[in-house]
Amino acid sequence: MNLAVDLQLICFVVLGVAMIAAALGVVLLDRIVYSAFLLGGVFLSISGLYILLNADFVAAAQILVYVGAVNVLILFAIMLVNKQEDFTPLGNRWLRQGATAVVCGGLFILLATMVLATPWALDTTVVIENTVVQIGRHFFSDYLLPFELASVLLLMAMVGAIILARRDFVPEGIDPLTRQEALTLPERPRELAGTPSDPR
Amino acid sequence: MFNFLKQVGDYAKDAAQAAKYIGQGLSVTFDHMQRRPVTVQYPYEKLIPSERYRGRIHYEFDKCISCEVCVRVCPINLPIVDWEFDKATKKKKLNHYSIDFGVCIFCGNCVEYCPTNCLSMTEEYELAAYDRHELNYDSVALGRLPYKVTQDPMVTALREFAYLPKGEMDPHDLPPDAQRAGQRPEELVKALQKEAAAQAKPEES
Amino acid sequence: MNSGIDLQGSFIQTLTEFGLPHDLARAFWIPLPMILVVIGAVVGVLVTVWLERKVSAAAQQRIGPEFAGPLGVLQPVADGLKLVFKEDLVPNKADPWLFTLGPVLVVIPVILSYLIVPFGQNLLITDLNVGIFLWISLSSIAPIGLLMAGYSSNNKYSLLGGLRAAAQSISYEIPLALAVLAVVMMSNSLSTIDIVEQQSGYGILGWNIWRQPVGFLIFWIAALAECERLPFDLPEAEEEIVAGYQTEYSGMRFALFYVGSYINLVLSALIVAILYLGGWEFPIPLDQLAGWLGVSETTPWLQVTTASLGIIMTILKAYLLVFLAVLLRWTLPRVRIDQLLDLGWKFLLPVALVNLLLTAALKLVFPFAFGG
Repeated sequence: MNLAVDLQLICFVVLGVAMIAAALGVVLLDRIVYSAFLLGGVFLSISGLYILLNADFVAAAQILVYVGAVNVLILFAIMLVNKQEDFTPLGNRWLRQGATAVVCGGLFILLATMVLATPWALDTTVVIENTVVQIGRHFFSDYLLPFELASVLLLMAMVGAIILARRDFVPEGIDPLTRQEALTLPERPRELAGTPSDPR
Repeated sequence: MFNFLKQVGDYAKDAAQAAKYIGQGLSVTFDHMQRRPVTVQYPYEKLIPSERYRGRIHYEFDKCISCEVCVRVCPINLPIVDWEFDKATKKKKLNHYSIDFGVCIFCGNCVEYCPTNCLSMTEEYELAAYDRHELNYDSVALGRLPYKVTQDPMVTALREFAYLPKGEMDPHDLPPDAQRAGQRPEELVKALQKEAAAQAKPEES
Repeated sequence: MNSGIDLQGSFIQTLTEFGLPHDLARAFWIPLPMILVVIGAVVGVLVTVWLERKVSAAAQQRIGPEFAGPLGVLQPVADGLKLVFKEDLVPNKADPWLFTLGPVLVVIPVILSYLIVPFGQNLLITDLNVGIFLWISLSSIAPIGLLMAGYSSNNKYSLLGGLRAAAQSISYEIPLALAVLAVVMMSNSLSTIDIVEQQSGYGILGWNIWRQPVGFLIFWIAALAECERLPFDLPEAEEEIVAGYQTEYSGMRFALFYVGSYINLVLSALIVAILYLGGWEFPIPLDQLAGWLGVSETTPWLQVTTASLGIIMTILKAYLLVFLAVLLRWTLPRVRIDQLLDLGWKFLLPVALVNLLLTAALKLVFPFAFGG
């Protein structure tokens, strides 16, 4: 055992424990903000695992896309929705939770047996020097179709978002007067300070 | 198509103009960096207040005739004149006089209208106190003369901008006899007298 | 090209010569770069704070810090000590865990980004393949910390500031990344070392700023917005929302935000120097000069001179940019939030895209000048 292997093992254990704990927190915690922040923790630990697998570009892209964009947008949505809602405690809640736990445990066991049963063709001798170049090659040769499909999908999503966000498209059949009313804040009309309404 | 190109051209023109304005602003800021600082290191250096500086009011108890003109001309009737009529001498006898400098706006009306000149302006402006009631000066406190900046050994007295020689911007290290820009009042008077004499001469002859 | 000085190799070799096992020598080496980065970052912050205060004072015809040390150089140290000794306050009804974690999440990615800043051929912590991409992805973690700080403070100004900061930094990340992409396209590598190497050889004429003037401007504007420097300091606009997400912070937690923002500024300036101003390159090509004078490249004194000159040049370029940022701070008024987003999405993004396309086209047409 030398130093590098030891360090790698320690990093793997720490990252794995952190990831599982954070993922359990995402599912089990009651407050949605904690879940969102812990989701960021899960993504960060996953990117750490990618680094351990020598996939540095994928790790950086994971941080950029999942932590920097997806998680921030989730947080944005949570913080901008200013709604306090107390959930009424359900009867027989433990039944639902138990069923969920059983399903999740079953899935886990299924995946675990699949992982153990598959004869992985691992080749640890080849060290890829420049992962970026390799990824680029694969994108434009054998993975060209999925790559292009994904980019078209993203383009469609972007165009859709722009159309939704544009203001000049107003659906017909809505009376402009009622629309105006809907946009104003539900405030009482305030009386002016200088005009006493009740003469004493 | 042409319209679109025109739009792009206009946009580029706007951007170039904005860049030009930012450049102008930067050059102004950069120019200011080369100028000398105007800082006065306050507790160690102080500016000499000008002649007509309206600082804390000085009051001479013995000159006061309790006429209350100061109270009447004051915008808020601030000075408190506590007098009683002395029947033996048939004169007003002044007991106390006070001004609250926490309220005073230093307009100088009382000084202007005092018939016996018992009120006057000093050049004291350091009136800081821990309690606002300490700013209510009685006749004894009002009668104290402030310490002059030029006589304080702890303080380097600096001249204000208007009192510097012509072309000079820095009040530090000036020769003490350097005269300020323009003519002094006595010189103006002298010149006027000379002019009057010159006018009077041809009339005589 | 010679490989220059190999500090790690010689350090480990020296220790093994003293009779230490190889692994132990490497274990001794591991913490050294970390400590060096933290110390370097903090010293950089102290210098920047002092510079900012002095330059601001000069721009306003004041003197600035003067009494703490010669020319007031110890003033940032005094400020830091004051913050260390201040009471550690957590507001009532704030979330103590998120409140503490927020500033930490802001500072750590910024310090981590120093990993890829090269001061010379071998004078950087790690030469990663993903180099500059690591910086972009790490800087995208900071908004989470800001949102966390804003949310956990239990203060509406904090929440507004946090949301503004996150919105600003995710919208300016895109033009920033596109500007970087144009440079990366010319140098065929994401590694910072390769990017500087590609600019070397012709002295000042080979720097990327001549090939990417538009990219330079876009990058600088976007970097200022990422650092929340003054024309874009809406997240802490003191006239509108007190101090933004920093409102409830004091003591050491505030100091983390403060240090983080200044490290970010220095880091952005360093990255601009690397991407566009030739990194550690001297304005005159030193290698060729040495060749004309007949000095061998492997001469020890030449190596030491070029290495120290490289460090000095990198820092000098970075601080020149910091100086420009301070001047900009006292020149430009703060933009409104709609103007900010307009500038980011409607101006910088299209211009950056056009710049990218132009670079690609020029690379195809003039492969010699634009890195074929």
